[in-house]
Amino acid sequence: MKRALLYVVLSLALATMLFPLWYMVAGALSSNPTAPPEPGDLYLRAPRWANFAEAWSVPGFPRAVFNSILVAVIVTLGNLLFGLVTGYALARGKSRWSRVWAATVLAVLIMPAHVLIIPLFIELQAFGWIDSYAALIVPFLVNPIAVFIMRQYISGLPAELEDAARTDGAGEWFILFRIVAPLCKPAMAVVAIQVFLVNWNTFLFPFIFTTRPEMRTLPVALAFFQGFQQINWPHLLAASTLATLPILIVFLFFQRQIISGLTAGALKG
Amino acid sequence: MPSRRHFGLLLSPWGVTFSVFWLFPLLFALYLSFTHYSPLAPDLAWQGAQNYVKLSVDSDFWQAVRNTLLFVIGTVPLTTALALALALLLNRRFLGRGFFRAAFFFPSITALVVVALVWSSLYARAGMFTRVLETVGLGGPANGFLFNPATALPAIMLMDVWAALGYYMLLFLAALQALPREYFESAQLLSASRWQTFRFVIWPALKPMTLLVLLLNTIKSFQVFVEVYVMTKGGPMGATSTMVFFVYDEGLVKFDMGYASAAAYALFVVIALVALIQARYFGYGREVAL
Repeated sequence: MKRALLYVVLSLALATMLFPLWYMVAGALSSNPTAPPEPGDLYLRAPRWANFAEAWSVPGFPRAVFNSILVAVIVTLGNLLFGLVTGYALARGKSRWSRVWAATVLAVLIMPAHVLIIPLFIELQAFGWIDSYAALIVPFLVNPIAVFIMRQYISGLPAELEDAARTDGAGEWFILFRIVAPLCKPAMAVVAIQVFLVNWNTFLFPFIFTTRPEMRTLPVALAFFQGFQQINWPHLLAASTLATLPILIVFLFFQRQIISGLTAGALKG
Repeated sequence: MPSRRHFGLLLSPWGVTFSVFWLFPLLFALYLSFTHYSPLAPDLAWQGAQNYVKLSVDSDFWQAVRNTLLFVIGTVPLTTALALALALLLNRRFLGRGFFRAAFFFPSITALVVVALVWSSLYARAGMFTRVLETVGLGGPANGFLFNPATALPAIMLMDVWAALGYYMLLFLAALQALPREYFESAQLLSASRWQTFRFVIWPALKPMTLLVLLLNTIKSFQVFVEVYVMTKGGPMGATSTMVFFVYDEGLVKFDMGYASAAAYALFVVIALVALIQARYFGYGREVAL
């Protein structure tokens, strides 16, 4: 009886949480371009698959997909390398300076970023980086969350292994990349997934740093999707669905890593 | 031990990132806030605290402050309470628990732009919400929820509760699962009721996580922007303009960058205080569970 009640409550919550997502997919298949999807569309009475192809061929959309993939892949790879390197230095460094640097990671992680909008725009303009891939990539190559995750993980590894290798005459680079890095695989998986997700979804800075449509990432392109004509709701929802697809795939395969990455950001609880 | 030079080399990528893309812009914004600066007429003119004085009497700014506070007060407690409730439900053992957990937190990893677009269409004129209300004899605002000054901000707030819920549920769940089993066993031994177990065992033990969730969500909610930009552009008549939207609008639309920086700093000081509380109480030492 109590169990039944639990399932009723959970199912209601489930329906509420999944409704907007189902609506997005079902609405993407609506055959009426001039009105928002209506209740009948939720049962897929007349699914119109062509909406996806048409949304794909909206000018600028494939380019935005390309930009998003390029930027997300490079930023993720960068964070794998720099997260390891920085996390290692912060975990093993014992000087006062390494504690100061650790504090800077924390500061960037929790301090609001909105105050950077204007000065970063001016700075990147001075670099000539507005509307360049550099602006979308370079500032994000060392994400504090990646550093944080790696530092925590490496702190939990025994340092004896490294010391033993050192006594045997191994070089510092060998120790970092051949001894520490292979042990960090689980943490690096979390970093890769977390950084990819954040980067794929991020809007604010790619939005500020680009003015030309060709340089937009997917979220920015979506925000401008409505364009000048009347909104084509099925196309908009189809494009939204396509943008969510990679997230869904990553989610299905790497849920455990996503949960680790998300809870890692919450610092000490 | 590796040499100091080696450590210096390892830390240099972060050192450069931190100084060039965080510390310098942070200080530069402070400087800008005391100037008049526009890329259209790029003469930096020092003008003391004038921007801040102007802010203090700018009714658009105060409307943005008011909307932001309403947003924080209206979403943070509700999201926290619902997240805790879901976490408590999911902390029991039952068939399909993993599926429910996954379904509940998926919205929180969906791009906020996508969420905002989907909900824009739900809220639109003749959209799903209006139609559902019509079938029960009510109706929505004539132009949809986002074009009505009375409903636009609450509409965005409701969406944000939905979008943020799953993430905080995960945090509560992590805290619940870290509680020692003995807590529950001794409560059972004393034949405590469900409510008593929650009130006297779980709730006190969850207090640190609850405080953390409140702080994290407050910091994030003070910076609400994407939703506003995508859904309403601050309208109708400033009804959904928030502090970060105000900064964006003054700085990158009207190009009054000194003034925008002053507004950004005013907000920064408020959030930084909240963030410092977080850093002070929660430190920097949580083990990452992998």
